[in-house]
Amino acid sequence: MVANAWIIPLFPLIAFLILLAGRNAFSQNTAAWVGSVAALLSLGSSAAVLMERLGGSDSLAGLEWLSFGETTIRFGIEVNQLNALMLLIVSGVSFLVQVYSAGYMKGDGRVSVFYAYLGLFTFSMLGLVISPNLLQLYLFWELVGVCSFLLIGFWYFKPEAKRAAKKAFIVTRIGDIGLFIAVILTFIHAGSFELAQVFDAVKAGEIPPGTVTLIALLIFVGAVGKSGQFPLHTWLPDAMEGPTPVSALIHAATMVAAGVYLVARTFPVFEASPAAMNAVAWTGAFTAIFAASIGLVQNDIKRVLAYSTVSQLGYMMLALGSAGYAAGVFHLMTHAFFKALLFLAAGAVIVALHHEQDIRRMGGLWETHRTVGWFFLTGCLAISGIPPFAGFFSKDEILLAAFHDGRTGVFLVGVVTAFLTSFYMFRLFFLVFRGERRMEAKKVGPVPRVMIWPMGILALLSVLGGFVEYPGHGLSRWLSEGSGIVPAAEGEASFLVPLFSTVVSLTGIVLAWAMYDNKSLPRDFFSRPLPWTWRLLHRKYYVDEAYGKVIVTPYGWLGHFLAGFDRYIVGGAVRAVVKGVLLTGALVTGIQNGQAQTYALVSVIGLVLLIVGLTAGRLFG
Amino acid sequence: MMESFFNVLPTWLVFSPLLGVVALLLIPGKKAGWLKAAGLFGTLPPLVLSLLLYGRFDPAAKGVQFEQSILWFQIPLPQSPPWEITFHLGADGLSLPLTVMATLVSALAACASLPIRKRQKEYFLLFLFLEMGMLGVFLARNLFLFFLFFEMTLITLYFLIGIWGYVDREKAANRFLLYNGLGSAFLLLGVIGLFVLFQSLDYNRLQELANDPQTRRMLSGGPVSPIVWGIFLCFVLAFGIKLPVFPFHTWMLKVHTEASPAVVMIHSGVLLKMGAYGLIRFGVELFPDQVRASAVLLAVLGLINILYGAVLAFVQEDLKRVLAYSSVSHMGIILFGIAALNAPGLTGAVFQAVSHGFISALLFFFIGSLYERTGTTRIGELGGLARQAPVLTGIFLAGGMALLGLPGMSGFISEFLAFLGLFQKQPGLAAAGTLGLVLAAVYTLRAVLKTGFGPLAEHLSKTVDTRPSEALPMLTLLACIILIGVWPNVLGEPMQTTLQTIVSRIGG
Repeated sequence: MVANAWIIPLFPLIAFLILLAGRNAFSQNTAAWVGSVAALLSLGSSAAVLMERLGGSDSLAGLEWLSFGETTIRFGIEVNQLNALMLLIVSGVSFLVQVYSAGYMKGDGRVSVFYAYLGLFTFSMLGLVISPNLLQLYLFWELVGVCSFLLIGFWYFKPEAKRAAKKAFIVTRIGDIGLFIAVILTFIHAGSFELAQVFDAVKAGEIPPGTVTLIALLIFVGAVGKSGQFPLHTWLPDAMEGPTPVSALIHAATMVAAGVYLVARTFPVFEASPAAMNAVAWTGAFTAIFAASIGLVQNDIKRVLAYSTVSQLGYMMLALGSAGYAAGVFHLMTHAFFKALLFLAAGAVIVALHHEQDIRRMGGLWETHRTVGWFFLTGCLAISGIPPFAGFFSKDEILLAAFHDGRTGVFLVGVVTAFLTSFYMFRLFFLVFRGERRMEAKKVGPVPRVMIWPMGILALLSVLGGFVEYPGHGLSRWLSEGSGIVPAAEGEASFLVPLFSTVVSLTGIVLAWAMYDNKSLPRDFFSRPLPWTWRLLHRKYYVDEAYGKVIVTPYGWLGHFLAGFDRYIVGGAVRAVVKGVLLTGALVTGIQNGQAQTYALVSVIGLVLLIVGLTAGRLFG
Repeated sequence: MMESFFNVLPTWLVFSPLLGVVALLLIPGKKAGWLKAAGLFGTLPPLVLSLLLYGRFDPAAKGVQFEQSILWFQIPLPQSPPWEITFHLGADGLSLPLTVMATLVSALAACASLPIRKRQKEYFLLFLFLEMGMLGVFLARNLFLFFLFFEMTLITLYFLIGIWGYVDREKAANRFLLYNGLGSAFLLLGVIGLFVLFQSLDYNRLQELANDPQTRRMLSGGPVSPIVWGIFLCFVLAFGIKLPVFPFHTWMLKVHTEASPAVVMIHSGVLLKMGAYGLIRFGVELFPDQVRASAVLLAVLGLINILYGAVLAFVQEDLKRVLAYSSVSHMGIILFGIAALNAPGLTGAVFQAVSHGFISALLFFFIGSLYERTGTTRIGELGGLARQAPVLTGIFLAGGMALLGLPGMSGFISEFLAFLGLFQKQPGLAAAGTLGLVLAAVYTLRAVLKTGFGPLAEHLSKTVDTRPSEALPMLTLLACIILIGVWPNVLGEPMQTTLQTIVSRIGG
C-alpha cells in the first residue's frame, strides 16, 4: 500500500473534477455523497498506509517533471512516520467535516461547488504532506492557500467575505515568498530539491552555517504566514467569514497545520541552526500569549476560536523551537481533534440560532442543546489541558520540552498562556451555554443529526487521543525512529510540570466560572480598572490599523504618484524624443510628417539605409 | 514523398495561412458568415502543421531541424564573390515553442474575432497575413527574411488596430507605428551593421562567426569593439521597444485599450514575445560577451519592469490597463531570465514567453466576452458578476490565478525558473524582484474580486453567462496553461538542447 500511496490525494481530486463538471446536475445530497465518499476512500487508504508504516520510510523517485540544464526534477512521494500520521489526520478531519457540511450547508444553492472546493483543498493538503521534495511541496503549499482563499470567499457576494479572502491570500503570499526564496537557495546550495539530500548536505556541513540559518528562517517565514504566527496572523481571524465547516477544516487539519508541518518536515535544517530554533521558539511563544490575550475580550464565537487557534499554533511552534519535535507534532494532532470539534460545535450553535454569532446574545443553550453542549465542553476541557483529555498530554509534552530546553522565559509564557486559554474558553462556554437565554425562543432551532455524529467521533478522539503517547512515550518514540531527529530530553520528567500546569488551567476555569456563571465576581472585574488595556485587546493591539496606515495607504499613494509619473514624465519624454527623431527624418527627406505617411517615411528611410549599407559594406570587405 | 514533405515543414507552415487567404479572396464580400468561416478555418492548417512540427521535432538532436535553404537572390560585386541572400527556414528549441503557441493563439483569436461587424473580408485577410508574418519571424533563419516578416506583422497590425478598434483606435494605431517604426529603424541599422561586419545574414553563419573564439576576442576588444556595441545596442533597443522595456512601454497601453480584444490577444500574446525571441536569438546568441557585460543592467531593467508594472496595475481603473501594466511586469520576468544567462534563467524566459502568451490571450478573450455583455471594462462599473455569469467569472478567476503565478499553472514554472536562474547570479536583485510576486497577487485579486465578487451591480442583473462558442476557446487556453503547469516538460524538453548550446557558448 505504501508504494501506492500516491492514490490517496487522487480521490479528492477526482471528486473535485466530477463535482465541478457536474455542478448543475447534482442534487445537494449527491454532491455531499461524492465528496464524503472520496474523503472516506482517502481515509481508508491512509489508515492502510499508517498500519504498514510502523518503521522506516519509503520514497518513490516518481516521474520526470521538469528538466533544465543538467537538472531533472522529479515528482514522487515519500511516506514516513510524520506524513503517514498527517495523512490520517487530514483525510480523517476532512471526511468528518464533509459529512457535517451536508447538514450545515443545506439550502445553499452552490453545494456542489462547495464540495468541489473541499475536495481540491483536501487534495492539495494531502499532496503537500506526501511530497518528498521542496519544490513539489511548495506547489501544493500554494494550492492549499488558493483553496482556502476560495472557501473563505465562498459567499462571494458578502463584501466582508470578499475582503477576508483577499486578505488571507495576500498575507499568506507574503510568507510564501520566504519559502519561495528558501526553496531556491536550498537548490543552489544543496544541489537538489529532494529533502533527503538536503538533510544530508546540512548534516555533512556542506552548506555554510550562515546560509543554513538563512534558509531555516526563510522557511519559517513561510510557516509564519500559513500558520498565522505574529506578525502575519491578521488573516486568520478574518477568515471566519467562510462557512463554519471550512473554518474547522482550515483550523484543524489543512491550511494552518501546513506551516507547523513544514517546520516539522524540514526539522533537520532547523536543528542545525540554533539561531533559527531561537526564532521559532520565541515567535511561537509570543504568538501564543499575544493571541490568547486578544481572545479574552472578543465577542464573536468564531473569532474567539480563531484567536485560540493562533495561540495554539504558537504553542506548536514553541515546542518545535524548543527541540520538542514530537511534542509539536503531537499537539498538532490533538489540536486537530479538539479544534475541529469546537468549530463544528460552534457551527451547530450558529445553525441553531439562525446564524447568530455574537456570544453576548447567546446563553442558556445547555437546556435546549445538551448534546452540543457536552461536545463543546469536551473541546474546552481538551484545549485547556485538563487531564485526561487529549490536550493535557500534548500540552504537557510541550511545557516539558520548553522546561528542559532551558529557555525559562518561553516556559513561563507557555504556563501563563495555559491560564489565559482556559479562562477565555470557559468564558465562551459559560456565556453560550449557561445563564439566561438572551434570544427569543422561537428563534432557536434543532441541529440536524448528520451534524451530530461527526462531532461525536471528534469528541471521542479529544478524550482518548492523548493516550497514544502512553505508556512510554509511544508516539514520540515512533515519530523519531529513523528520522535522525534527536528526541527531546526526557530527563527527570518531574510530574511537577503537569501538576503545575493543570492547577494553572483549573484556576482559569474557576475564574471564568466566577465571573460568567456564578457571578460572584462582576464581569468588568478586570476591564473597569484597566479600560485602556481592554480597548487595546479589543482592538487586537491595533495591528490591522497599523498595517493600513503604514503599508496599504502609502502603497495606494505610491501607485497614484507613479501613475502620474508614467503619464506625464515617461509618456511625455518618450513622445518628445520620438517626435524629434521623426521631425529630423522629415526634414532630411523633405516630406511632411502626416500621419498617413508615417509608415511610408519609415520604410523609405529603411530602404535608403539598406542601400547605403549594402554599398558601404564593400569598403570594409 | 512523405519524408520530403516533413523536411520542408517550416516552409509549408509559414505559407499555410495563404490557403485561407485564397478562400477569402474567392468569397464575395457580402457573405459575412462564409468569410468568418474561411477566416476561422484558415487558422487551422498552420495549427495542424505546427503540431506536426512539434510531434516530429527531435528534442535530443543538436542544431536546427527541418532546415530548408535555397538561394533567393544575390548582389553581384565587381571584385569579390557576390552576396547571397538565402531563403532559409528551420526550427530549433527556441523557435518551436513560440511557433506552436502562435498558431494556437491565432486560431483562438480567430474565434474571438467572430463578433466583428464590418469589413470581415479585409479583417481576416490581414489577420492571416499577420499570422504568416509571425510564423516567418519565428522560423526564419536569415536576418533579411526575418526583417521582412517582422515588417509584415507591423503593417498588418497597424491596420487591424486602426480600423477595427474602439473609439480612439486611430491614435492607438499611430502611436503603435511610431514606436515600432522607430524599433524597426534600429533593427535595420543592426541588421546592416551585422551584414557589414560578417558579410552574411544567415543565422548559422553568424552564430558560427560570433562564437568563434578568435573573432570573439577581436570583436570584444580592439577598434571594432564600439561598433559591435553599437550594433548590439540597436538590437536591444529594437526588441526592447517591442517587449516593451521601461520606459518604452507607453505605446502598448493605448494598443491594449483601443484595439479589439481579438487583436490584443495576438498583440499581447504573440507579438510582444517577438521582443523576447529577438533578445535571445540575436542579443544572446550573437553577442555573448556584450550580453554578459550588460547582464546587471538587464536585471535592473527587469526589476524596474516587474515592480513598476505591478504598482501601476494596482491603481488602474480599466481592466484592460490593469492587464497592460501586468504585461509590463511579466516581461520583466523575461528580462530576469535573460540576465541570468544560465540554463534555468533562459528556460524560464522562454517559458514565460509561451506562458504569458496563453495567459494574456485567455484574459483578453475574457475581456472581449465581458465587454460584449456589460459594455464596460471599467472596474468601478463592475461587481458581483459571479451570480449572473459563474462560468465567465470562474474563467477570469482561473486566468487571474495563472497571472499571479499560481503553481500548477504555466506562469509559476516560468517565474520559478527565472528566479532560480537569477538568484545564482544576482541574488540581491532577484530577492527584490520577489516583491513583485506579492504585488502581482495584490493587483490581480483587486481586479478579479471587484469584477466577480461582492454585491451584484444593478445594471448587470440581466447579464447572461458564456456561450459554448466562447467557453470552449477559453477553456482550451486554460487547458494549455494547466498542462504546462502540471507537466512542464511538455514544453521544456524540446527547448533544452538549444538552450544548453547557447549557455555553453556564453561560458562562465
